[in-house]
Amino acid sequence: MATDPLLVRLGRSTAATAVLAVVLFAGAQLYQATGGGARQLLVKELLINLVLVLGLQVFIGNTGVLSFGHLAFAQLAAYGTAIAAIPVARKARSLPDIPFGLGEVHLGPGAATVVGVLVALAFGALIGIAVARAGGLAATMITLAVLFVVDSSVKNWEQLTKGAGGLSSVPKLDGSAWLWLAVIGALLVAHGFAESRPGRFAIATREDEVAAPALGIGLFSARYGAWLVSMVLVGLAGALRVQVIGSTNPRQYTLDVAVLLLAMLVVGGMRTVSGAVVGTVLITAGTEVFRQLGDPERLDIDRFPDLFLGVALLAVMLARPGGLLGDTDLLGWLRRRTHRPAPPTERIVPPRQAELTAEGVGVRFGGFVALDGARVRVRPGEVVGIIGPNGAGKTTFFNVLTGQVTASSGAVHLGSRELTGASPAQVARAGVGRTFQNLRLFGNLPVRENVAVAALVTGRHRRGEPPVDIGALLHAAGLAEVADRPARTLDYGNQRRLELARAAALSPEFLLLDEPTSGMSDDEGQAMVDQVRAMAAMVGAGVLVIDHDLAFITRISDHVVALAEGAIIAEGTPEQVRADPAVAAAYLGTSG
Amino acid sequence: MLQVEGLTTRYGAITALHGVSLRVDDGEVVALVGPNGAGKTTLLNTVAGLLRPATGTIRLAGADVTGRDPASLVKSGLALVPERRRIFRDLTVEENLKLAGITASAGQRRTRLAEAKALFPVLDTKWHTAAGYLSGGEAQQLAVARALMSDPRLLLLDEPTLGLAPRLVDVIFELLATLRSQGRTILVVEQNARRALELADRGYVLRTGHLVADGPGGELAARADLFAAFVGLGG
Amino acid sequence: MTTLLQNIVDGLGRGSTYALLALGISLIFGVMHLVNFAHAELITVGAYVAYGLARADVNWWVLAVAIVASAVAASVLVERLAFRWVRNANPFTMLLTSFAIERLSHALWQVLVSPKKQSFRGPSWAFNTWTAAGVRFELMDLLTIAVTVAVLALTALVFTRTLFGIAVRGAAEDFDAARLMGVRANRVISGAFAYAGFLAGVAAVMILLRSPTAEPTLGADWLLKAVVAAVIGGLGSFSGAVIGGLALGLAEVFFRSYLPAGTPERLTDAFVFALIAVLFIVRPQGLFKVSTAERV
Repeated sequence: MATDPLLVRLGRSTAATAVLAVVLFAGAQLYQATGGGARQLLVKELLINLVLVLGLQVFIGNTGVLSFGHLAFAQLAAYGTAIAAIPVARKARSLPDIPFGLGEVHLGPGAATVVGVLVALAFGALIGIAVARAGGLAATMITLAVLFVVDSSVKNWEQLTKGAGGLSSVPKLDGSAWLWLAVIGALLVAHGFAESRPGRFAIATREDEVAAPALGIGLFSARYGAWLVSMVLVGLAGALRVQVIGSTNPRQYTLDVAVLLLAMLVVGGMRTVSGAVVGTVLITAGTEVFRQLGDPERLDIDRFPDLFLGVALLAVMLARPGGLLGDTDLLGWLRRRTHRPAPPTERIVPPRQAELTAEGVGVRFGGFVALDGARVRVRPGEVVGIIGPNGAGKTTFFNVLTGQVTASSGAVHLGSRELTGASPAQVARAGVGRTFQNLRLFGNLPVRENVAVAALVTGRHRRGEPPVDIGALLHAAGLAEVADRPARTLDYGNQRRLELARAAALSPEFLLLDEPTSGMSDDEGQAMVDQVRAMAAMVGAGVLVIDHDLAFITRISDHVVALAEGAIIAEGTPEQVRADPAVAAAYLGTSG
Repeated sequence: MLQVEGLTTRYGAITALHGVSLRVDDGEVVALVGPNGAGKTTLLNTVAGLLRPATGTIRLAGADVTGRDPASLVKSGLALVPERRRIFRDLTVEENLKLAGITASAGQRRTRLAEAKALFPVLDTKWHTAAGYLSGGEAQQLAVARALMSDPRLLLLDEPTLGLAPRLVDVIFELLATLRSQGRTILVVEQNARRALELADRGYVLRTGHLVADGPGGELAARADLFAAFVGLGG
Repeated sequence: MTTLLQNIVDGLGRGSTYALLALGISLIFGVMHLVNFAHAELITVGAYVAYGLARADVNWWVLAVAIVASAVAASVLVERLAFRWVRNANPFTMLLTSFAIERLSHALWQVLVSPKKQSFRGPSWAFNTWTAAGVRFELMDLLTIAVTVAVLALTALVFTRTLFGIAVRGAAEDFDAARLMGVRANRVISGAFAYAGFLAGVAAVMILLRSPTAEPTLGADWLLKAVVAAVIGGLGSFSGAVIGGLALGLAEVFFRSYLPAGTPERLTDAFVFALIAVLFIVRPQGLFKVSTAERV
C-alpha cells in the first residue's frame, strides 16, 4: 500500500523488477540460443522498445493522458547523443556547417548518453507544462503537434541533422549489456514511480479528475511529475538506440512508430508495468513473426506486421479495452502480499479551534441568481445540516465552499484563513474534506488504496500530525473485509461509506458531505448517521452536510439551515426548522 | 394507457427504483411527487426508454413496451419533456419543432407546426431564433411544444417549472390546465407538489425508490401528513 | 498584388480539400465524440477504386461517381463493423480503435494490391492554367474551389433544411434528447458517417484529379491536416471546421511564400504545426467553439 514504509516500497519495486528482468533475460537467452544472429538484433530491438514503452507507461498509464509526442523526445535525445558522440573528424566531413561550435565536441558513450537524456528532459520540461495544464484530448493534440514540429525540424535543419538522410558513424555500443542495464533501470523507475507518492497521485488523477483535486492533489503537478520521469526514460531509449544501431534518421520516429509503441502499451494493459512488458513482448514478437511472411523481394515486408498490429489493436480495443492484463500486476500482487497492517495506535486528535464560516455568499449564472446572501457557521466538532428542495441552491452553496464554483460575492473562511476563490485542491489542503453526491471513487484501485491516497496527502501537508490509522478507518466504515477489492466492485452502500472514509483519511478539520444518503433506503440512511458521527469523531472533524432528507438531517445535525430559491428561509435546531411552516411550503409548494 | 408493474431500475451499484407499480388511465392527469432523489426522474426515463429496467414491465395502451428504445416509443405515442428541458440550443425554434416531428408525416408536421404557433404565440415571435437565446419560460414552452409535435397519446413531463420565476410557474400551470382540457393523458413530475396534486386527477408520492402514498390528487394535497411522508418523518 | 491574389487562390484551393475532410471529422466527432484518425483512409479507398476502374478505361465522370460512392460505402461499413461497438467507450479507446482501422487499411491495400505506388491516367486538362488580368490561375485550383463551394452550399442546405441534417445537429448537441424526439441513434450515426464519407469522397476526387495515383499511405498525409483543421475550428463545430480548413490552407501557402528565401519547403509544416501547438495551448477548445450560457 502507498503508505507502507519507504524500504518496503523499494523492496517491492526491486523484487518485481528482478522477477520481470530474470524472466525476460531467460527468455531472451533461450530464444537466441535456438537461432541465428538475426535473433540478437531482435532482442536488442525488444529491449529498446521496452525502455520506450515503460517511459510511455509512466506517463500515459498513470495519468490516463494519451500522448503521441513521447517519441519526439526520444528522437531529440538520439540526435543529441549522435552529435555529441560522432568523432570530430567525421563530423567535419558529414556536417561541415554545424552551428554552435558543436563540431569540436566529442564525448564518450556514457557522457553522450547523458547529453541525450538531458536534451529530452530540457525540451520535455518546457512542452510538458502545456501538456500537463491541458489534459484530456487537448493534451493529446498538443503532443501530436509536437511530434510533427520535431519531425519537420529534424528533416529541415540540415546543418545539424543532415535532414531526411539522418546521421551515421555514431560509435556503436558492443554487446547488449548496456541495454539490459537500461531495461532493468527502466523497470525499477516505472515500478518505483507506481509505488511513490507522486505516482499514486498521478494514478488518482487518472481515476477521477474531480475527486483527486478534492483530496488536495493538483492535476498539473501530478501530471507534470509523471511527464518528467517519462522523459528520462524515453530520452535514455533514444540515446541508446542511436548507439546500438550506429545511426539515426527521421524514419525511426514517425507517427507510425508512435502508434506501434502505443499498441504495445495498451495491448498488455497500460495501467500496470507488467501489462506494458507483456504487450511489448507480444507485439514485438508478433510483428517479427508476421514480417517473415512477407517477401523481401517485393519490398513489402511491412504489410503483414501492419495487418497483425491492426487486428491485435482492434481486437483488444473492442473486446478488452483495459488490455489483456487489465489491473493484474506483479507489483500489485506483491503489494497485497507484503502489506502488514500497522498495529492500531491510540491516536490523539489534535484539538481543533478553527471555525468554518461563509458570509453573504451570492452566485449568479448569467442573469440567474442561484444563491443570494447564504451564510453558515460550523464550530469545531459540530454537525451542521443544510436542507432544501430540489433547485434550492444547496449544491451551489456546497460548490462554493469546496472551491468548485467561484462566488460572485461573499467570503468563506476557515479560522482566519480566507478560502474565497481558492481552488478545490487548496480547499482540501487547508483542511476541508468532501464527498460527492454522484460517487467519485478511484474505481480501479483497491478499497485500501482509495483511503491510503488521501492519507498520503495529509502526510505531505501537515507533517506535525500523527498518521491516520487507515485500518481503523476501514474498520469503522465496515470495509475491512473488502479492503483488497477494486472500489468499483463494491455495492452501493459500501461505495458511499468508502467515499466517507476516504474524505476522513485527509484528517480534515471539516468534512463536507454532499447528499450522503442519496439513493439509500431509510434504514441505510439511519445507519449512515452513526457512521458519519463515528468517523468525524475519529479524525476530530466538524461536519457540514447537505441533504434533502429531513429525517436524516434531524438525527445527525446539531444545527440546521434551510434554503429555498437561493436564500435562507429558516435556521435553528432541527426541531425548530422542522416545525417552520416556511420549510413545509418550500418542500411542497403552495396552492395555486 | 400506461401500466407500470414492479419496476426496478439500477444505475451501476445504485438501485433507484424498488418495484414501483403505477398506472395512468386514458384522459387522466397524474402527478408524481416526492423529494429530490426519490427516483421520479429515473421512473420517467425508464418509461421513456432512456434507461433499461432490471425487472418489471411497462405497458403502453396494453402493449408490452419494456426495454424498447426511446425512438420506437415515440412512434408508439409516448413523449417525454425531460428534466432541465434539454432543448437544442444551437437549433432555431422551428428546427427544434421540426426535429421533434421526425416520426410524423410531412403533412402532419406542417399541421402541428401551425398548431404550435397558435398554442404558443411567444414561440411564433421567435420562430427563427436559436433556442439558446430563449428565456427560461420560453424554453420550457418550447420543450412542451416539442413533445406535442409527435401528438403523443401519453405525455410525460419532468419538473416543468424547475428554475422558473413565480410568474412563469403560473404560465406553465396554465399550460398544463389547457392540455388537460384538451383531454390529453399526462404524467407529470413536479416539485411544486401541492399545486401539481390539486391540478391532477390522481397522485403518487415516491420516496427513496418506493411509492409511499397515492390517491386522488386533491385529497393527497390536503393530507396533513403529506410533508411527513415527503421527508421521511412519518411513521 | 498579383502574387497576393495567386496565393489566395492557391491557399483556398488547398484549404478547401482540408475543409471537406475536416467537416467530416467534425461531423463524426459531433455525433459520437470520436476523433476519427481513419477518416482519410476513405481517400485511399477512392484511389484504389479509381485505379481499378481506370485500367478498364472508364471515363472520369464515372470515376468521380465511383470514388464518392465507394467512400460513402466504406465509411458506413467501418462504423457498422467497428465504431458501433465502442460507441460509449472513453475517448482514448475510440481514438485507438480508429488508429487500428487506419493501420488495417494500410495493410489491406498492401496485401490486396501492392505496397508500391500505382499510377493511372488523369484527365488531360488537369494542369491547364487560365490567365486573367495578368494573373495565372491553375484550373484545378479554381475547380476545387468551385466544387467545394457547391458542396458546402449543399451541406448548408442539408443541415438546415432536411430532417436528417437537423437530426444530426440535434444529436451532436444532446444525443439523448434527440432520441427522445424519435431520432434513431443507429440511423443518425450511420447517416453522419455516410455524409462524412460523401465529403471525403469529393475531396478524394479533387486530390486524384491532380495526382492520379493510389498507394496505401495516401490518406496519411491528408489526415493530419484535416484533424488539425477540425481542431482549429473546435471539434463538433461544423462552420468552424470549414473555416479551420481554409485558414490552414492559406497559412501554409503564405508561410511558404513569405518565409525568407532559401528556407526549405518542408519547414513550413514545422511552422504551421508549431503555430497549432501554440493555439492548442492558448485555446484548447478551438477558435470557434462558443457556447451560449444557459439563460433562465
